[in-house]
Amino acid sequence: MRLEGLNLAYGRTLAVSGLTGAFGPGVHAIVGPNGSGKSTLLKAIAGLIAPCAGRVVLEGAGRADIAYLPQDGGVQRDFPIEVADFVALGFEPRLGLFKGVGAADRAALGEALARVGLEGLARRPISALSGGQFQRAMFARVMVQQAKVVLLDEPFTALDTATAEDLTAIVRAWAQEDGCVIMVQHDLAVVRELCASALVLAGRPVAWGSIESVLTDDVLTQARRMARDATLSEAAP
Amino acid sequence: MSEAAPALTEIALRGAGAGALALAFGGAPLGVLLIARRMSLSGDALSHGVLAGAAMAFLIAGPNPWALTLGALIAAVVVTSLSSLLARTRRLPEDAAFAVVYLSALAAGVLIISRVAGPEMLEQLLFGAANAPLDRPTLLLLGGAATASLLTLAVFLRGFVAESVDPGLVRASGRSGGGLHLLLMLLVALNLVAGFRAFGALMTVALMMIPAAAARFWATGYAGQAGFAIALSALSSATGLLLAARFGGEAGAVMTLCAAGVFALSGLFGPQGGVLSARRR
Repeated sequence: MRLEGLNLAYGRTLAVSGLTGAFGPGVHAIVGPNGSGKSTLLKAIAGLIAPCAGRVVLEGAGRADIAYLPQDGGVQRDFPIEVADFVALGFEPRLGLFKGVGAADRAALGEALARVGLEGLARRPISALSGGQFQRAMFARVMVQQAKVVLLDEPFTALDTATAEDLTAIVRAWAQEDGCVIMVQHDLAVVRELCASALVLAGRPVAWGSIESVLTDDVLTQARRMARDATLSEAAP
Repeated sequence: MSEAAPALTEIALRGAGAGALALAFGGAPLGVLLIARRMSLSGDALSHGVLAGAAMAFLIAGPNPWALTLGALIAAVVVTSLSSLLARTRRLPEDAAFAVVYLSALAAGVLIISRVAGPEMLEQLLFGAANAPLDRPTLLLLGGAATASLLTLAVFLRGFVAESVDPGLVRASGRSGGGLHLLLMLLVALNLVAGFRAFGALMTVALMMIPAAAARFWATGYAGQAGFAIALSALSSATGLLLAARFGGEAGAVMTLCAAGVFALSGLFGPQGGVLSARRR
């Protein structure tokens, strides 16, 4: 997947500018200070925000090949739906409105629930899940989507250790299956452990490359300075 | 029955019962969906909004039931689209956009109907006339609305659920949920229009929404809640009609109060979060 001269904006406020590069197979991190455009970039790759300049090129993949797990969930948790049916919504991008769920899909659903440890809660309403259980259900939904590109926005935030470890193992498995996982992540220890490369963002790209070359004190300090300068220039009359 | 029913003749009772049953099958499952999408008040607002269309139709074609229906449906499309457009400008929250458009439509409807048809017609459209025998077109319309609602839900249920639970997922897969939203509001409008000549616009909304709210105490999934909502709506209507026949009173209002009673009992005894079942745990 390539980003070509990508500029993203909310109204007249530019959130990300001048982004050109590519993501291949493996786990990639997007890091940077708050407000640096990380989540905005994920939304643009997911097709939820149209670029104001440049483009996202999905080589050999369509919109149904992208799975997106947003930070706030964006899910109406009090909707009357049980865990298995919620996870089955992952079939939605591939099946559309009219195609039926087949036997293979049902098997994949069972496997995904077992993989995230929710097989015993399949008939529980999602409103009755804890935060960690709900994140497990979101991961199961991403799994049944069988997407080539997986976008995760802060996937391990506010999770207990056991859940975070289980979900980290799942991300690692996706990478081994030749998938492309792009993850917004604040915790640099997690980035160093999981990711092959990182994009450091501060409205503009600060650095993009292998973890060793990018996650240096110099680069991170520069990112913080650029983000602060951008905030000050926005606030200026 | 007629000897003991001073306000509701046996013929009127049968007609109203058939109409209420159709409304239970058509409206209550939609009510469950509206509540689940946190759009409970939009049904109420739409019931006010369609009056403007009915009023315009009355102005053009007189009290022709099909013309009133068509006018109300057109008004539903116009006001739903207008309020969605207004909400998308992001200058107003969606509920405020609903309020502006629907209340304006209501004012226009009240003005036209009260000047052209008189206050009695206005009262009938708002609060119903189920005590008078329902005419054939109204019954046909109620049956048609129920059939259309159930068929549409059967075909599009997965889309409605996906778009309600996670609109971002639907948008990320390249589809807009706008079409399904409009379809849902059209179905709501169709049931409202079918019901408002019998039970009144306000009471029709009540018979859609209150049993749907009560159903949340009995089931956890959409299908279970829709089934309970249909049963509770039919139960409320049947009880209300029999009480209205026995003791008198406007049928739509008595049916609505019965639905409120069913809601209270569900809130007490329902296994899914009812007060007593929660205490037993």
